[in-house]
Amino acid sequence: MLVRLALHAMGTRFELVLEGDEDGPGAEAYLRAAGEVALAEVEQVDARLSLFRRDSLLSHIQRNAAEQPVSVDPETFALFELCAQVCEATEGSFDPTIAPLMRAYLLHDETATTPLLTLEQARECVGWKKRVQLLADRRIAFSAPGTALDLGAIAKGHALDLAIEVLRDAGITRALMHGGTSTVAAIGHPLGREGWPIALGAGPNAPRVLLRDDCLAVSAPGARSVQHEGRRVDHVLDPREGLPVQGALVAATLSRSAAEADAWSTALLVNADPKGLPPHMESLIGMTDQEGERVPTHWFHRPRITCTGLSGFCDIPQSRQATPLQTV
Amino acid sequence: MTSSDRRSFLKGAAGAAAAFAFQPDLSATPRSLSAPLRVGLIGAGRQGRKIMGELGKFEDVTLAAVCDSDDRRLSGAKRRAPQATLYSEHKAMLESEGQLDAVFIATPTHQHRSLCEDALDAGKHVYCEAPLAHTLEDAKAIARAARAASGKFQTGMASRSNPVYSLARSFVRTGAIRDTLSLRSQFKKKTSWRTPTSDPARDKFLNWRLDPSISLGLVGEVGTHHFDALHWFTGQYPTSVRGTGEILAWKDGREVADTVHCEFQFPGGVRSQWEASLGTSFEGEYSLLAGTMGTVKLAGTHAWMFKEADATTFEWEVYATRQQFHQDEGIILIAGATELAAQGKLKEGIGLPHPPLYYAMENFLVAVGEDSDPCCSAEEGLRAAAVAIRAAEAIRTGTEVAIPEKDFSLE
Repeated sequence: MLVRLALHAMGTRFELVLEGDEDGPGAEAYLRAAGEVALAEVEQVDARLSLFRRDSLLSHIQRNAAEQPVSVDPETFALFELCAQVCEATEGSFDPTIAPLMRAYLLHDETATTPLLTLEQARECVGWKKRVQLLADRRIAFSAPGTALDLGAIAKGHALDLAIEVLRDAGITRALMHGGTSTVAAIGHPLGREGWPIALGAGPNAPRVLLRDDCLAVSAPGARSVQHEGRRVDHVLDPREGLPVQGALVAATLSRSAAEADAWSTALLVNADPKGLPPHMESLIGMTDQEGERVPTHWFHRPRITCTGLSGFCDIPQSRQATPLQTV
Repeated sequence: MTSSDRRSFLKGAAGAAAAFAFQPDLSATPRSLSAPLRVGLIGAGRQGRKIMGELGKFEDVTLAAVCDSDDRRLSGAKRRAPQATLYSEHKAMLESEGQLDAVFIATPTHQHRSLCEDALDAGKHVYCEAPLAHTLEDAKAIARAARAASGKFQTGMASRSNPVYSLARSFVRTGAIRDTLSLRSQFKKKTSWRTPTSDPARDKFLNWRLDPSISLGLVGEVGTHHFDALHWFTGQYPTSVRGTGEILAWKDGREVADTVHCEFQFPGGVRSQWEASLGTSFEGEYSLLAGTMGTVKLAGTHAWMFKEADATTFEWEVYATRQQFHQDEGIILIAGATELAAQGKLKEGIGLPHPPLYYAMENFLVAVGEDSDPCCSAEEGLRAAAVAIRAAEAIRTGTEVAIPEKDFSLE
């Protein structure tokens, strides 16, 4: 029996498929209830970490952390620790303190607390290492006013990780869940198949991943953009330079943690150099070669990404696909 | 309206404008308490977890103990509050934790009575989630215990401590919507309302909301909050109720309705429609108070006023931020609007900076710390529960049920 649920949260849509071994109304009610608890977890993360909700924990942190440390729940603190870790491993290619810069490029419609800054002023505010301190007793502090966090590159993955944990706790053994089709997490495998087959891109021969107790994230800069001073600015910025990304066309990562996959896929888009990629992770990066052809490149670690062909993957930014990941 | 009424209304309306103009935006910064407090939590489920989350914002409050009879919930609480001592039985917690100042109770409704009585007996200040009880007998017993106790008691209904509701109420109470014509509240959320478990014993414990012998269903778990808000705005409780409850969305063997409609009769001819469904999420949760000069909409962290074309224009309206709802334009009600407008930050004031639960908890903790009265007493909790209990009776019997004054008394 399959049960499908969905939820609008974090400015996108989360979707969940649960498979049970038994049929019947009792089995369906059980699967649905488990899925609802998982989606409630996503709602909770949205309520805690939304940049656009004045009553979120994140807005509370932005208002207060420069004046005094703010206590947070264990899940959020673990997320901040992961942010610090990925920020360091990627040498700042992933950096949530990018929020003032996003605002300066008008990539946020509005934020609750960040003042409007010039690009130069905003660049000064970016830098996790110098701006954010994680303290004992699960407290976070900012070293200077003007610091603000945008967790957009990791929050969906974080929500999926917590949702998957809830599903496992409820005894679910087969499930697939995605946030906005760019981050996806799997429990087990569908009955009769080795894994949940996911296509990376729209083409008929796009690379495929068989997900089994794994998480996958794909980032591409062209999914959303704004006009800034007469030119198009894609929604992924390089935190180190304060400029829109110029590097990869698309980056995909596999990890046991959706949050980690999410953050690393953004980092590899910014800088297609995965030297700090943890050994348990895999990645695939799409770039242009010397002739300007779009090619998938840079396989890192032992790829579970199986290629029957490569078309589609590098076309993600250009195709403006609303759904870069597709179940197949 | 007589000329004398009109004069007092105009005077009141000016007062409302002044309140709008000068109310400072104190709601963003957590309030300092006069002395540190140690608190305990009984019930670490859905609501208990939310309470733990908001408690973390109060620097001077320590969650020293958590009690839950379910091991898995207790282990979750251990992770969230590692400093807290854990208990599986509330009497053990009350006996061992002599230094606790206050206790938050967030258990299934039918357990509230004994927990409230024991906590008050132990000399603790008590914050108890709504509805207070699923029977009049229990609700009255809690209210009597609260009255007899030396400690403070707050019913966890968040409207009365909600800053934006307070602002909206100041308009309604000073005549900004003039004569009230009708009231309407709804709760819509697509959810089966079921907690997953494969253990039958745990299922009975976790899914108490779906057990008609101990649950009032939607009208109790959700409606109570709306009934209290409308009472606070209008100063009136309904005198009778009719209602229907059906199982339309979740035909999974449940006996508690997933879709409910009620109509309450208020003194003076005003009626209130209340609707709740677990089969759709359209328009979520809100309350409306419609008057001859305008309508106020209340939705948790937000509130709006929709004015009739012939309504008086307030001076502050030049600053107002508006929001379009199809053909209607609502003025967004913002605490401290004028001050924020002067700083060019009016839009930053839209929506409360904390969830309504935070303000209810703050109100309680300040009352405990400063020996003041919490804004939502046990008796208010009793009255809202009584309305819900009569509504559940109307739904069950299919008849119009009176809500007699004696329901609201402690006897």
